[in-house]
Amino acid sequence: LASSLELPAMPRHTAPGVRLPVLPGQITVCLDSTVLSTVLGSCVAVCVWDSKLQIGGMSHFLLPHHLGRRHGEPGRFGELAVSILIERMTEFGSRAGHLQAKLFGGAALSGTSQARALGTRNVEVARQALAARGIPVVSEEVGGERGRKLIFATDDGEAWVCWI
Amino acid sequence: MLIQPEARPMTKKILLVDDAMMIVMLEKKILAKEGFELITAKDGQEALEKVASEQPDLVVMDVNMPRLTGLEACARLRQDDATRGLPVILVTTKGQECDLEAGYRSGCSDYVTKPIDSVELVTKVRGLLGL
Repeated sequence: LASSLELPAMPRHTAPGVRLPVLPGQITVCLDSTVLSTVLGSCVAVCVWDSKLQIGGMSHFLLPHHLGRRHGEPGRFGELAVSILIERMTEFGSRAGHLQAKLFGGAALSGTSQARALGTRNVEVARQALAARGIPVVSEEVGGERGRKLIFATDDGEAWVCWI
Repeated sequence: MLIQPEARPMTKKILLVDDAMMIVMLEKKILAKEGFELITAKDGQEALEKVASEQPDLVVMDVNMPRLTGLEACARLRQDDATRGLPVILVTTKGQECDLEAGYRSGCSDYVTKPIDSVELVTKVRGLLGL
């Protein structure tokens, strides 16, 4: 799947201790010790960590599903983004049985019911995509009515969140 | 004795787009404190022209504007290879019927709601600029 789709630039190797922003629509997997950061509203960040290889990655997606028209930015859509994230981890040697996930974001920031439901739908899609692959969600900080700033360390899988 | 000037990061340029001058002034006040270079446009059409001529690093753009809406302008930026990756934050009005999904599908990177929260705006701008 990943090879047939145009993906945002993804750093595969970074120097130890590097801090790297993950922008909306990006999928980043790092073999080395890297601190990934992002800012979330209704978007969802899925952080996946391999407890055996001690590598990790993050996807920051904006919408649950693509509508079949735009495939140029698969990282923007939850079902594709999670699939690609797991596939990238697998390419680096991860096995599903060693993976665990953390979920963040999915806030209801805008006033209308439809807009408020977007964050909930994003979270639900992430949960479904992970469950379909047998990857447990070990912690989550989702919902609410405020944005979040997230920091995720790829070497030990630790994550920190603060409200914005 | 020679004194080497300290290496300073390049100032990031941000384009603020809104037909309401008060909103632009507020955004300017918030972002100027962060040291950004700020330029403005009053609708989507002018925003496209400013993007081409000024090459900003990020755009903060209202949704509802005359001539060309924020959604239309964002979609056009995404159709152009030169501006496909330009971060765009859309500004929506809280409580007003606005289609957040339409914004994301037009290609925007993020959004903030009016009344604008200064911490939220600065955090999202800095996040998208990797600062």
